[in-house]
Amino acid sequence: MSSATRALATDPALAAPPAGAGPSRRSRVKWGPLLLLLPAIAVVTMFFLVPLVDVFVRSVTDPEPGLQNYEWLLTNPVNLEVIARTFLTSLVVTFACLVVAYPYAYLMTIVGERARAWLTLFVMMPLWTSILVRTLAWMVLLADTGPINDFLEAIGVGRQPLIRTTFGVALGMAQVLLPFMVLPIYSALAKIDRRLLSASSSLGANGITTFFRVYLPLSRPGIFAGSITVFILGLGFYIIPSLLGSPKEAMVSSLIYQQVSVFLLWGQGAALGIALLVVTLIILVVFNRFVRGASLAPGVEPE
Amino acid sequence: MHTTSPRRRTIRTVTLGMAAAVALAGCGSSEPEPSATYDLGTPVAGEVPEGVFEDVTLTFAGSGGIFQEGQTTAAWTPFAEVTGATFQQDAFDPGKLKAMVESGNTTWDLVNTTQFDTARFCGTLYEEYDYSKVDISKVPEGTITDDCMVPQILYGLVVAYNTEAFGDNPPTSAADFFDTEKFPGKRTVSMSQYVDPQMLEFAIVADGGDTANLTPEQIPTAMEKYRSLGDDVIGWTSGAQAQQQLESGEAVMGLVWSGRGYGAAAAGAPVAPMWDEWMVMVDSTGIPKGTKNLDAAFAAVNFYGGAEQQATMTEETSYGPINTEAKPELDETLKTWMTTENLETGHYPNVDFWVENYDALATEWSGWVTGG
Repeated sequence: MSSATRALATDPALAAPPAGAGPSRRSRVKWGPLLLLLPAIAVVTMFFLVPLVDVFVRSVTDPEPGLQNYEWLLTNPVNLEVIARTFLTSLVVTFACLVVAYPYAYLMTIVGERARAWLTLFVMMPLWTSILVRTLAWMVLLADTGPINDFLEAIGVGRQPLIRTTFGVALGMAQVLLPFMVLPIYSALAKIDRRLLSASSSLGANGITTFFRVYLPLSRPGIFAGSITVFILGLGFYIIPSLLGSPKEAMVSSLIYQQVSVFLLWGQGAALGIALLVVTLIILVVFNRFVRGASLAPGVEPE
Repeated sequence: MHTTSPRRRTIRTVTLGMAAAVALAGCGSSEPEPSATYDLGTPVAGEVPEGVFEDVTLTFAGSGGIFQEGQTTAAWTPFAEVTGATFQQDAFDPGKLKAMVESGNTTWDLVNTTQFDTARFCGTLYEEYDYSKVDISKVPEGTITDDCMVPQILYGLVVAYNTEAFGDNPPTSAADFFDTEKFPGKRTVSMSQYVDPQMLEFAIVADGGDTANLTPEQIPTAMEKYRSLGDDVIGWTSGAQAQQQLESGEAVMGLVWSGRGYGAAAAGAPVAPMWDEWMVMVDSTGIPKGTKNLDAAFAAVNFYGGAEQQATMTEETSYGPINTEAKPELDETLKTWMTTENLETGHYPNVDFWVENYDALATEWSGWVTGG
């Protein structure tokens, strides 16, 4: 249930009346706030639910009714390999973002107002730049004859393969996904009562113990929210893997593109899309079920 | 109403919103208007009566770049000037075409597509040609491969080799392309999204096969032949990249689109074509199903195929003309790369076979281009 409807439910004027309350009270229900939901519902239905149902229907009817598209999906090793590669790449990117974002977000909590504004600006900057411009910049930087390789050669390390590698793809993706990790972690860290840290050390814990026993557990909601957002967004990347990677780094979106726009086998493209959605949902549910403090809807606090 | 709980009311609101949205989404399609008919007499390639399409707007969806610009200069703009029609340009995408036709809202009248797609979707996504309205007497023999196309250009998948590496002893057969002992060095082949069945046919020809007699078992074997080159094979994912790999010498040999080999040579790279065995390719001029200007589209295709228009098209784009009487003025370099001068050694694609075995082809190809 969306947070908006939950807000309605907790509004005393709208909430279900306690047992025994008369019908006269029920008639006072206001329609206005509910009508405000109509545009959002219409948009979600028309641009998300209807197409999603259409995609699903296609996956079992195109070119003929049956499960042949899913059979194709499961019996063709290329599909499974690319789907596995997609999840792996996204996982690598999530870890990379986490490692960079945690200290960064911590820094944001201990500096002054002005410095924090600058730090926020730096992390948001890639998000505000056109994806093509930013990816082109990475192509120039990572090229075999680019400045990074020139530098590596100058200091005697020698030229390394950077572009057309998983490393290059992960780097490009991590840069754009970083804000989605930094901001939730920052908001979790900012809420931590720093007196708890003093209390911890006054009870004899050293810095490391305090971090792992007090600080880290309190920041878990931010870590989970950020990780899930980054992981899921990463699964759908198309432009960065195709420009910074070789065909060996292609992700599932490029397979889907190929089925839909080159081969015109829409049934198979639809099956791939549904498979990606289902596997993602399974991972989320499992994650939510077994990891304490995780939330399926990042940003919405469990009640 | 009095007994409705707020929860149920919320559900009702949600349902109402959904229903409205679904109703709105359904409004897009309607019965297509019938296409206007014109009697233009017996067609002669390159000719069209003056002022006949004053109120017609035609849209050509092409492949962009100098190719589409050259076609526009050679044929579409003159056609618009003579007939009074308005000619618009757009970028072609097969997926978009399918969506257009399925929603009954076709806004393209002519497209540049592959000969395999017009064959696969003849009558479903593409209109059948009325060949009494297009003069095809000058179209090179064997290049009209289904009822929904007239060729748009005649090019090829050709071995381009570095003359500094192999100038004294150049490769002379498809088999030589795979002989890394006699011809050491990196080869570049397509790893592009755009499937070229001719690339598989080339491998089959190299093994002594015949494109006229293909079997499904040969599809994976052909792809395996490229994999067996191991570290000696690099891929190109776009024509521009193929050209760049030949120019920089990163690849000493490449199986590339003829126009890209010419591009490298014209830029001064020591690159020459091997004409002893090469794969003939044509692009189709397809007419999307449900166009409102079918007769005007036929007239435009007929005009496009004129000897003069095709000569200009070739001069502007370097792609071979589809009119056997076209006499483009070519410089020495372009002459050595002209497919239409070498038709007798070309292998023609087995379109029927690939249409029938398209799923197997698509599976092999997507495995190849995603590194599987």
